[in-house]
Parts: sequence; C-alpha cells; structure tokens
Amino acid sequence: MISLRGVSLVYPNGVHALDHVSLEIGKGDFVFLVGHSGTGKSSLLRLLYREAKPTAGEITVDGIRVDALKRSRVPALRRHLGVVFQDFKLLSDKTVWENVAFAMQVTGASSRDVMRQVPRTLDLVGLAHKSRMYPGELSGGEQQRAAIARALVNNPKLLLCDEPTGNLDPTNTTEIMELLLRINMKGTTIVVATHNQAVVDRMRRRVVRLENGKIVTDEERGYYYLGLGQGQVLSG
Amino acid sequence: MDWGKVKFFLGEVLRNFTRNAGMQATAIGTVAITIVLLGSFLFVRTALAGLGGQLLDQIEVSIYLKPDVTAAQTTAIRDAFKGDPRVLSVDYVPKKQGLVELRARTKGEIDTALLTENPLPDKFRVKVRDPDNVPAVAASARQLAGVENVVYGQDYVQRLLSLGAVLRRVGLGAILVFLIVASIIISNTIRLTVFARRREIAIMQLVGATNMYIRMPFICEGALGGLLGALLAIGILWIARATLWPRMLEALPWMPLSSAAVDPVRLALELLAVGGAIGILASWISVGRHLRT
Ligand SMILES: Nc1ncnc2c1ncn2[C@@H]1O[C@H](COP(=O)(O)OP(=O)(O)O)[C@@H](O)[C@H]1O
Ligand SMILES: [Mg+2]
Repeated sequence: MISLRGVSLVYPNGVHALDHVSLEIGKGDFVFLVGHSGTGKSSLLRLLYREAKPTAGEITVDGIRVDALKRSRVPALRRHLGVVFQDFKLLSDKTVWENVAFAMQVTGASSRDVMRQVPRTLDLVGLAHKSRMYPGELSGGEQQRAAIARALVNNPKLLLCDEPTGNLDPTNTTEIMELLLRINMKGTTIVVATHNQAVVDRMRRRVVRLENGKIVTDEERGYYYLGLGQGQVLSG
Repeated sequence: MDWGKVKFFLGEVLRNFTRNAGMQATAIGTVAITIVLLGSFLFVRTALAGLGGQLLDQIEVSIYLKPDVTAAQTTAIRDAFKGDPRVLSVDYVPKKQGLVELRARTKGEIDTALLTENPLPDKFRVKVRDPDNVPAVAASARQLAGVENVVYGQDYVQRLLSLGAVLRRVGLGAILVFLIVASIIISNTIRLTVFARRREIAIMQLVGATNMYIRMPFICEGALGGLLGALLAIGILWIARATLWPRMLEALPWMPLSSAAVDPVRLALELLAVGGAIGILASWISVGRHLRT
C-alpha cells in the first residue's frame, strides 16, 4: 500500500525533516509512527498525501508514484486516502451531516450516493444521532468521530491520522482508537502518528520509531518505548 | 439533472456572495459605472455612424437668416443665387417646414409638441452643381445682408469627424481606466471571500476536489457581480435614453443624430457579456493566485 525508498525532505528554510527514510506498509496494516515532537512524523504523512514533495527518494501510495505526481493528479491521489488531524478541521458553520457530505459533494458525487453513503458512515462512527448538530455543540471525541467520518465517506483504502487523540481525554482516546481498530478490521490500511504512550502500549501493533528524521526501529508488535516489553526500564 | 448537486452548488455561491455585501456593492457599482460609460459610448458611436457619409452626399449650402430679416433682403438673397451659374436650385425653407423636416429625420424622438417656440431660423437651401464650388458659394452668401450664418456639409463633416475623434479617444481612455478599476475591485472582493473561506478551500483540497471545482463558485460569484453591475448600468442607460437623449436632440437640432441604427437588445446583451467577462476574469485571477500558493 505504501512504499518509501530513500526519502529525504528538506524544507525551504533548511530544516532536514526526513533523512533517507525507507518503509514498506502492506494492505490492511495498522502502523504507529512514534517519536518526539519535531522528529518528522507529520512531515512523513504530509509526503504521503502530497502536501509536501520529497527532496529525494521514491514514494508509492496505492500504486501511485506520489513523488513524481503532476499537480493536476493530486486530487485523484487524495480521493484514495483519508486524513485526520489533531484539531479535527471541521467547518463550524456546517452540521455534522454537512461536514461529512462536503467531502463527497466537492468531489462530484451524485446526491444519491451522498444520501446513501453519509448516513452509513455516520452510523459506523456512532454519530448518526447527532448528525444535525454543529461541531461547536459536540465533545472533542465526537468532533473527531465526525472528522473520521469525513475522511472515510469516500471509501478510501488508506487512512492517515496525525495525532488523532492529541486533544482528547483518556476515555475519548480509547473510544477513538477502538473505532480506528474497527475500521482497520474492515480492511482499511491505517497509519497513526502519535506520541501517546498509553495508546501504543495497549494496542500492541506495528511501531515505526522516528528520531531526527530517521527511522530508528520498526517492531511488529511494539511498545512506545524501545524494548519495554523485554522488561527494560526507561525514563522520560 | 442532479438537483441535489445544483442546490448545493448554488447554496455555496449565494453564501459567498452575501458574506461581504458591502464589498460586493462597491464592486457592482464600479462595474455599473464602467458599463454606463461603455454603453453611452457605443450608443453615441452607432448614432453617429454613417453620418459622415450621409453629409458628404449633400452638396448643399444652408443659409440661415437673421430673425429680423426683411422681405426685401430675403428677395435679394434669392435673386442673387437664382442667376448664379454654379447653383442648381434655391429653395426657401420657412422655419415651420424646417421643424417638420427635423421631426421626420429624428423619427419622433423629439416631442415637438413640447416646444413652446420654434428654435429653428428660416433658411435658404442652395444646391450647388459642383462640390468644389460650395465654399465659394458659401462665402458669397455670407456677405449678403440679412444672413445670420452659412453652413455646408463639408465643413460640418470635418468638424463632426474631428469632434468624434476626440470623443472617441477620451471615451476609450475613460472606459479603459474604469475597466481596470472594476477588475481590481472585483478581484479584491473575491480575494476577501477566498480569505474568509480559506479553511473550506483547504478541506476541499484535502479531500481531493479539483482546482477547477474549487474555482467554480468564486468564478460564479465574480460573474454574478459583473452581471448585476451590467444590469444596473443597463437600467441607468435605459432611463438616460428615455429622458436625456430627446433633450440632447432638441438642444442640437442641426445635428442629424438618430438612434434608429442602435439595436437596444443587442447593445444590452453586449454590455451584459462585458460585465460577466470582467467578473469572471477578475475572480479567475484572484482565486488562481490563492490556489498556487
Ligand atoms: N512547513 C514547514 N516548514 C519548515 N519547517 C517545517 C515545516 N513543518 C515542519 N517543519 C520542521 O520539520 C521538522 C519535523 O516537523 P514535524 O514533521 O512536524 O514533526 P512531528 O510531527 O514529528 O512533530 C521540525 O523541525 C519542524 O520544525
Ligand atoms: Mg506532528
């Protein structure tokens, strides 16, 4: 599903955000991207949906060569994937229903498809009963559910989440992670960038660890801190 | 036809449009001024077109008489030209008949019933055999007693043509300036809307809307502003045509002006097209600038 080969990213201001990163993520995988703030997690995700272009290296997402993609083909790439952020990025003057439908309407879906797909997706994230409410009337967890519904409504094969629980309390965090797991079990590939230790440690999923723009470890069933499972004691 | 889609799209355009109403009003007003100028220009140009040719055909000299001319002087003038070998015919045109002719020429555009007194002087219409002799005939007419003024086509045409050239240059300059001002104001208005909607645009880009799709509501907003401005201008021109134009014909009775050559529907459509085009162009440019960054 995702393949990075020798990918580097240097921002115009000279910051080396990523340094020769190589990574393979298979179809249906659930992967955590962990590391301290500023190690390049968001940058890596941004490369995948072509918000940024790599300085060097090759990136393939769902068979699309993202690094060499023409500007005019970027919308097509984005329709293959959904993106979720820490700050939800919902439109405050639209209801939950309208926010979710928006993703379909602006990509030219027929109103029949909108009417069929939006309720189904709101059902999946458990927000059907609040579809007429505005984001301001929802809890953080509910807002993130709405954002996830918007990311999923076009049936993408890949869901990218950048600190999806960064603004949530532990209860909401657990619920959102359970939702992501359920989505993953239906076949969607999921990449979650996070520095939430509890989440990573409870889920026991693949953990890719970044440090200063480099991948330092990649464990099949990892913990947030390297080797914690083997009884090592770490601080910080 | 997918009405749900249409409703969503129109809703977005209308929401944009009403978001900064003050700015929109300014944009519409500027477009209206531009188009009033353009419309007046096109109208007068068409009304004047063909005038030159029409006048050149007339190798006739009009000898306007003083209001206090005596019968003896009138007879003397007639006799002077009757015997002149250069002259084909001499006709006395009393002011009453002049008015009838004027009415016929302007095809009822002047309501002559409104005139409290006839503004035209009595005149002689002298037809000259050879156009080359017109200036000489006119010059001899000027020396006769009781003659107020002598007018002949050539001179007339020359003056009209040079006046027309000046008007055209001034008019085109003003129109160009206003076109630019209107475009700048519209594109600033759209820029404000784009800024107000930057979050929405970011999300559209995130979920994979094409640039064309993102542009469309803004283009429509610009077109709507341009068209409304043009409509306003057409309304103003319509009123001017009904009120000012007849007065202008009255004030300049010797000018063979006629609006018969102007097709009002066609002119209105042309002005609408211009208004829409300004709006589309200005918004295209300002949204494009945002999408590229
Ligand atoms: N748009 C940008 N322009 C310049 N530098 C950036 C930009 N975004 C991030 N960076 C820098 O790149 C590095 C990695 O940032 P980021 O990918 O956001 O890390 P993380 O998500 O792991 O916290 C940081 O040093 C950050 O300051
Ligand atoms: Mg980040």
